[in-house]
Amino acid sequence: MTTYIAPTLEMRFVLNELAGLDTVNTLPGYEEATPDLVDAVLEEAARLASEVLAPLNKTGDAEGSKLIDSKVVAPEGFADAYREFVEGGWAGLSMNPEFDGQGLPGLVSTAVDEMWNAANLSFSLCPLLTTGAVEALATHADDDLKQTYLAKMVTGEWTGTMNLTESQAGSDLAAVRTKAVPDGDHYRITGQKIFITWGDHELTENIVHLVLARLPDAPAGVKGISLFLVPKYLVNEDGSLGEHNDVHAVSLEHKLGVHASPTCVMSFGDRGGAVGYLIGEPNKGLACMFTMMNHARLGVGMQGVAIAERSLQAAVAYARDRVQGSVPGKQGRVTIIHHPDVRRMLMLMRAQTEAMRAVAYLTAAALDHSHHAPDADERAGFLTRVDLLTPVVKAWSTEVAQEVTTLGVQVHGGMGYVEETGCAQYFRDGRIITIYEGTTGIQANDLVGRKIIRDGGQGMRGLLADIEAFESQLDAAGEVCVAIKAALIEGRVALARGSDWLLQTYANDMYAPGAVAVNLLMLMGTVVGGWQMGRAALVAHDKLQRNEGDATFYQSKLTTARFYAEHVMPRAAAYLAAVLAGSESIMALDDEYF
Amino acid sequence: MKILVCVKRVVDYNVKARPKADGSGVETANVKMSMNPFDEIAVEESVRLKEAGTADEIVAVSMGVAQCQETLRTALAMGVDRGILIETDAELQPLAVAKLIKAVIEKEKPQLVLLGKQAIDDDANQTGQMFAAFLGWSQGTFASKLTVAGESVEVAREVDAGTEILSLQLPAVITTDLRLNEPRYVKLPNIMKAKKKPLDKLTPEELGVDVSPRLTVLKVTEPAQREAGIKVANAAELVGKLKNEAQVI
Amino acid sequence: MSALVVAEHLDNKLNPATLAAITAAQALGTGVDVLVAGLDCGAVAEAVAVVDGVNKVLRAESEAYAHPLAEDIAPLIVQLAPSYSHVLAPATTTGKNIMPRVAALLDVAQISDIIGVESPDTFLRPIYAGNVIATVRSSDPIKVITVRGTAFAAASSHGGSADVETVDTTESTGLSSFVRADFTASDRPELTSAEIVVSGGRGMGNTDNFKLLEEIADKLGAAIGASRAAVDAGFVPNDYQVGQTGKVVAPKLYIAVGISGAIQHLAGMKDSQIIVAINKDEEAPIFQVADYGIVGDLFEVLPQLSAELDKLKS
Repeated sequence: MTTYIAPTLEMRFVLNELAGLDTVNTLPGYEEATPDLVDAVLEEAARLASEVLAPLNKTGDAEGSKLIDSKVVAPEGFADAYREFVEGGWAGLSMNPEFDGQGLPGLVSTAVDEMWNAANLSFSLCPLLTTGAVEALATHADDDLKQTYLAKMVTGEWTGTMNLTESQAGSDLAAVRTKAVPDGDHYRITGQKIFITWGDHELTENIVHLVLARLPDAPAGVKGISLFLVPKYLVNEDGSLGEHNDVHAVSLEHKLGVHASPTCVMSFGDRGGAVGYLIGEPNKGLACMFTMMNHARLGVGMQGVAIAERSLQAAVAYARDRVQGSVPGKQGRVTIIHHPDVRRMLMLMRAQTEAMRAVAYLTAAALDHSHHAPDADERAGFLTRVDLLTPVVKAWSTEVAQEVTTLGVQVHGGMGYVEETGCAQYFRDGRIITIYEGTTGIQANDLVGRKIIRDGGQGMRGLLADIEAFESQLDAAGEVCVAIKAALIEGRVALARGSDWLLQTYANDMYAPGAVAVNLLMLMGTVVGGWQMGRAALVAHDKLQRNEGDATFYQSKLTTARFYAEHVMPRAAAYLAAVLAGSESIMALDDEYF
Repeated sequence: MKILVCVKRVVDYNVKARPKADGSGVETANVKMSMNPFDEIAVEESVRLKEAGTADEIVAVSMGVAQCQETLRTALAMGVDRGILIETDAELQPLAVAKLIKAVIEKEKPQLVLLGKQAIDDDANQTGQMFAAFLGWSQGTFASKLTVAGESVEVAREVDAGTEILSLQLPAVITTDLRLNEPRYVKLPNIMKAKKKPLDKLTPEELGVDVSPRLTVLKVTEPAQREAGIKVANAAELVGKLKNEAQVI
Repeated sequence: MSALVVAEHLDNKLNPATLAAITAAQALGTGVDVLVAGLDCGAVAEAVAVVDGVNKVLRAESEAYAHPLAEDIAPLIVQLAPSYSHVLAPATTTGKNIMPRVAALLDVAQISDIIGVESPDTFLRPIYAGNVIATVRSSDPIKVITVRGTAFAAASSHGGSADVETVDTTESTGLSSFVRADFTASDRPELTSAEIVVSGGRGMGNTDNFKLLEEIADKLGAAIGASRAAVDAGFVPNDYQVGQTGKVVAPKLYIAVGISGAIQHLAGMKDSQIIVAINKDEEAPIFQVADYGIVGDLFEVLPQLSAELDKLKS
């Protein structure tokens, strides 16, 4: 088993050189986030991640959460780790100081979240869901609810959950049946929700459930869904906890991975109806829920980066240690890191992980600008970019994470299929991330429908123009960067063609958007990733020229960017070809012939 | 009482130290640096003394290159009240460090000075004893427990034979060993607050201290590598080898 | 000029580390005098007088030296030092406590933990927990040195016939006082002085499983250690830690159980005379420094080892 060491050097590089921490920390409210402060935050978070969270990853997997006497019991050590996490003030890192948050940029919390997720994905799901719930409450709830619940959730003293799914309502929330009936100043909620992550536990004294339900007179479909706050324990006027609300975890799912994270079936109203409070306007629950989901989508994209990094670290450590076979030019038996094909796998893991990290951090920085930029047009511009990139960060990063964690197993050979090395766990744990918070298919539909077609491709053209404007900078930066440029141009042109094709075709072929969406999304991820790798290469080249900093680090940046250009960017052409093939062969086969 | 705690910036314990190619020293460029773990124990103890009401102010001092500020900030984030950096690019050996600390003590007048028993880079284990000597103060090295009572402090020392308990007249110098405490994880809000805590800068010249080295490092090398031995099949064979071949049991 | 070695003793017995320091002093090519300071320390002075190669024994008798308090012993050494080119002491907790104080009072550097003498002013000493060896030259008129006992052979404790000379003593400073010692608290030897150390790593799995090690340690009269990973995992307290951030040990026999052999752990034990590793991972780095390795499940090997040790006794 390997330990997790947060890649702080790499993180600082991405924060400072690619994501633009130096402009984020000029935004009003973010002035405190100077590079030295961010360094200190990263170092301490790294310590907590590797010393407290990472050691519980494997034991948590083996033990799993259990339902005992109607209570969910987390694996040994999780309660102490969670207490350490909350006492350390980590839960509220990027949250509003008004509610005891630390008010750091989302960019910084993105880097820190990467550490938590890489150290222990199961653990990190709990704060991830809480953060989503906090965002939804902060944006939509009335002051009374905020006063009662928000501060405790910001500090992590209480956790939050998202209760959306029902057995008949998965990706299709229109089918939600849970009922909410007015009862004085509150509502009575009845129904059953499934797949509720950290739906119950004893880590904190209270849990705040956000629940989608229908009012008695609600219209059918998604326009009739409202969002309710349902606390596990009712909260008295004075803030003390009252009786247990009518909500319970009734069973836990047996899953492929993230065993330590309890996935609950939650039953509301077995004894007459759980007390709930309406968040925002009646029947506007979906909008509130999207607030949660958007945050969570970037968060899950980050999990893709995190699990890929963890898998990479394990694979590199194993490849350095494992002696097997021999290679030309080396005497005797060698460690497998000397074998070309093992190196190919490690480079694929490394290059794609770095590309995903850069895109995720870049998007987080854009999100900070979209909230905090002083100028409204500027905010709108950044918001367009965030909207465009969010489904890519979510779906592309999590899909590539599948490839990376699979390679992680492959590098280990037979030992990879055996649990003790840990890489099988990363593979299993990571399998959920393309599914929850909107599957890859849902993300791709969001990209083509809401983000490309709806604005007639304007946001996409802005992105393509930015990439094109960057390309020429690579000319003067040496041979490697020129080669990277050639690959980037090809990729960018492919993305433009794919996107144009979609805009020209969707009106005539109703199946086209859905049929090409995932390939277009993967094409976009690959190219945007290549753009960031190109930017990294340019910075590295300049640093090497000026003899600044760690030459080994920058040299490997250059090499990794070159590898990405040579071995990953060619995939853009393949994705484009699939896009251009359209929907015909996808839709042609009659249902019954499947 | 006022406590002075001394912190050193060293190559992180997770990093394998390697001699530079020319053998002139150990590679420290672009290597992860952090607070000497024994000093971290000293900082923790000082913060606990303040939390217990024994101390009312804690000042941390570090010396060396500008980046030692980061180490001081860590101490501030752990609960130290203010920091002093004695900034110099010169190589500092324990004797010079002790003279600098003595000068700081004369300015700050603490009743108790805490620092790690040694730094994990040069492993000298000298500095605390040296400035205690300069000041004519008592010293409690290798401390595993300390109790302040009036004008004295009782120190349990981890010595080779076990534990030795001494009573030291204040002011005193205490060097800390592993058993004393387990340093806390730094809390995020405290990292933020640490940024606003005062951090003064001084130079050896301002303190009037000559820091010229007395020892010249002629070269550094890697130690001879141990050869891997043999694998034995089972416990019986092992005990046989240990008894008859190695003759250690 | 000759070298002065500060003898270390307890309960009228000379600490053998002093004999290694005498050997180091002899390597300087000068005569060797030995200081025996204490209360009723005649027997120790007599024992030192017959150590091979000692020219003269300086005996300092005073209530102030009843316990080797640095504040009180250092002034005595400082008083004697000007007649010597080198002052050496064993690099024990006592020597490390006193000698820097001596060096400071003489305004000279102190050279810690030497493992080799290149010339009268040039020495080898480990830094970075022994991961690196530095060769250092002192420009001071008096070299104040502590000597790592395991790096020098012990001088023969007989064959010499030195004179014992009584020297003037210094006053007690009253800065510190001895309260009590707790040298027999554990049935097991201290980690740093034990001849055999049995250490467990993360592979031990939990606190309870360390009992398996205790059983082995009791049979061998060994101390128990642990890797940082085992400490961080909460299996055992911090003071069990062997490594760069823990104790550096060099016993006759070191048995590493379920320890993979992280750099920082190796730094703390690789100078052991014989290293045994028990680990189920054949590729674990610990095997690269182990003299004897068993590849296997420690939960099977330890009970077998325990049984074999019983057989040995009977």
